[in-house]
Amino acid sequence: MSLFSSKTWPLAIKLSLTITGVVAAVSFMIGTVMVVQNWKRSHEDLGEKALLLSESIAITTPKAMLRKDIWSLYQSLKNMASGRPGTRGSDEVLTAMILDADGRVQTHLHPASNPMGLPFLPSNTIEQEFFQQAMNARTPIVLSSGGFSKTGFQEGVVPIFSDQKYMGVVRVRLSVAQLYKKAIDTAVTVLALTICFVVFGSAMGTIVSRRMVKPLTAITQGLEAVGRGEMTDFAPVPVKRGDEIGRLSVTFNLIMAELAEKKMLEEEIAMSEKLVALGRITAGVAHEVNNPLAGLLNCVDTLRKHPNDNQLIDRYLPVIDQGLHRIKEIVHNLLVGLKNEENYETIRIENIDKLRDLIAAETGGMDIDLIWKNDTDKDLRVPGKLEQVIYNLLKNAVEIIPDGGRVIFRMSRNGTHLSIEVSDNGPGIPSQIRNQLFDPFFTTKPNGTGLGLWVVYRIVHNMQGIIEVESEEGIGTTFHILVPISTMKDA
Amino acid sequence: MRLIYLLSLLWAFPTYAADTEPPIRFGLTAVVVTENLRFLDQWSEYLEHKMGRKVEFVLRKSYREVMDLLDSGGIEFAWICGYPYVQKREPESLRLLTVPIYRGAPRYHSYIIVHNSSPYRRFDDLKGKVFAFSDPDSNSGFLYPLALMIKKGEKSEAFFRQTFFTFNHAETVQAVSEQVADGGAVDSYIWEYLAVFRPDITEKTRIIKKSPSFGFPPIVSRLGVNASTVKIMKNTLEKMDRDPSGKALLARLKLDGFGNYSDSLFNEIRAMANTIQKSWPTPPMLPTD
Repeated sequence: MSLFSSKTWPLAIKLSLTITGVVAAVSFMIGTVMVVQNWKRSHEDLGEKALLLSESIAITTPKAMLRKDIWSLYQSLKNMASGRPGTRGSDEVLTAMILDADGRVQTHLHPASNPMGLPFLPSNTIEQEFFQQAMNARTPIVLSSGGFSKTGFQEGVVPIFSDQKYMGVVRVRLSVAQLYKKAIDTAVTVLALTICFVVFGSAMGTIVSRRMVKPLTAITQGLEAVGRGEMTDFAPVPVKRGDEIGRLSVTFNLIMAELAEKKMLEEEIAMSEKLVALGRITAGVAHEVNNPLAGLLNCVDTLRKHPNDNQLIDRYLPVIDQGLHRIKEIVHNLLVGLKNEENYETIRIENIDKLRDLIAAETGGMDIDLIWKNDTDKDLRVPGKLEQVIYNLLKNAVEIIPDGGRVIFRMSRNGTHLSIEVSDNGPGIPSQIRNQLFDPFFTTKPNGTGLGLWVVYRIVHNMQGIIEVESEEGIGTTFHILVPISTMKDA
Repeated sequence: MRLIYLLSLLWAFPTYAADTEPPIRFGLTAVVVTENLRFLDQWSEYLEHKMGRKVEFVLRKSYREVMDLLDSGGIEFAWICGYPYVQKREPESLRLLTVPIYRGAPRYHSYIIVHNSSPYRRFDDLKGKVFAFSDPDSNSGFLYPLALMIKKGEKSEAFFRQTFFTFNHAETVQAVSEQVADGGAVDSYIWEYLAVFRPDITEKTRIIKKSPSFGFPPIVSRLGVNASTVKIMKNTLEKMDRDPSGKALLARLKLDGFGNYSDSLFNEIRAMANTIQKSWPTPPMLPTD
């Protein structure tokens, strides 16, 4: 379809078509004007010729008419029509006649149908009109059939006078057939030339426009490559001219060079950011793991020094146990989503609803308004990991809101996606820490590990879902999660 | 081939005395012979060779002009029609020299012709039509149709709607074939001559009436011409059929030869002329200059 839509045609073709069109139109116009002018001039010339022939007949006519020398009158008409050697275009005489003052045929080139001595009978109303005009003429005139037609004619009408007495009229009618043929021939030549111009013009147009548009094509291809994210195999567009396209090429080459440099810089920045993140994780791990480790090592050392002190054992063992569990939990959380966990077990949706009671229990004595809206089908099964995502978000929410605050949980199926929304009317997240929200070991809570939202982010990301945060200081925070159901079903 | 033969004869017997004596002038009209200049050159060369005198053909449009030339001494001999020959002259200025023999006899006819596609069957059908005469002094081309009209009791010039003279039998045939005229009167000799050389023209015409036979247009001499010249001319013409080059020229003319005939040969024409003279002293169709 796009092939037929002129809007998508390459510029080179459009340009060459335009050039061809202009060339064709101009040559056609010139040709038409030429043909028309030529026709008009030849037509007038033919009229003059008809008049001249009539006049030459009219000179000898009066004497022959007086003598009733019809035969010589007829012969003069016939000689004119058949032409003597050396005369030209004689076959164009359609008809010729000499009529007397009463409109009777004195002689006619076609005597069989126009008997002499009888009144001339026009064959139709148009001829009748010409006849009237000829009979009324007292000075030489040219009668014309007019129009552009093969059957047209020019007629020379010359009245005959003898001693100022009107005797009749000579009518010589010349056919425009030859002119018509000539005009048609000229028109055909003009048309052929136009076609030649069109072919030649379009060939030239194609070559010229291709050469002109070549840098644009290269630029377009380069930009398309940029669009696809390919920057490496870009070759600079050769610049040969200083016109607009040449300047465009230069600018394009500059932009491409700068884009390439920018990409390199971005890659460097990304690398350094990676290093920073790695450092932060390392530092976090060091901090979170090292701190309990020091205590644990201290406990182990003390126990080693007092191996038989049961009191110490009873006191330190739970501490060691607690410390090791914390380390285990930190490592476990850190690894969430990093390794490809195969056990995508699914759970019933009611398991999610049980979190409502769990969170309500964990609020302790605080008065919290927990609004729960689950619009999904009861039979829907969701990945087990989603339970932890929702738990973490809800826990964060209830921890941040003041006494009497409100937490809203909403879950619904939105076509192929499952939409989860957890919002609170807590203090909101300060804008300066919003981009660190999902970083590991980033926390604002004194006892937090900084891995809660990290885990959420990793799980949602693994499900090929989207997580968004909407927060306004003093009003509250809302987390939106959108996970595809197909993924869940596949799981 | 024939021409080369003629030329070779000329070379063998060169003409003499041609420069000293004045040329013999021979008057012709296109009414009798078509204006074939090459043929006339050959004929005059033949006569010059035989007679030892320069012979010049003098061409005129009408019989009247030729007759005037005879009267005024402008020519010595002339090929005229039987009608001017029989007309009374006071004093008589010419003498019958010899008569062409056509198809075995010194006689010919007048043909009344019409266009092949026309409905006319009889001379009467041509009433109110356009008619072409050849020459006002022609027997076959004017006198005979005039006599026909008189025989019908038509005294008025209104028998034909329009008439004209072509001054040439061949052109009369042409005028009828091209339907300029509805009918025409022509010399049978010319019509048959054309039927051989220009059948395309004669095929378009149809003969609706054939006259009784008349004396063939004769060759006459002016009375003032000296007897020896008249005798040589008569002999030369009458012996043309006895030598090959003369025969060749006669063949071109479609004639058998020339013969010695008496004036009575033209009695029919004379009678017809007299009849017309009585009933129609001056035919109104004659052109006036």
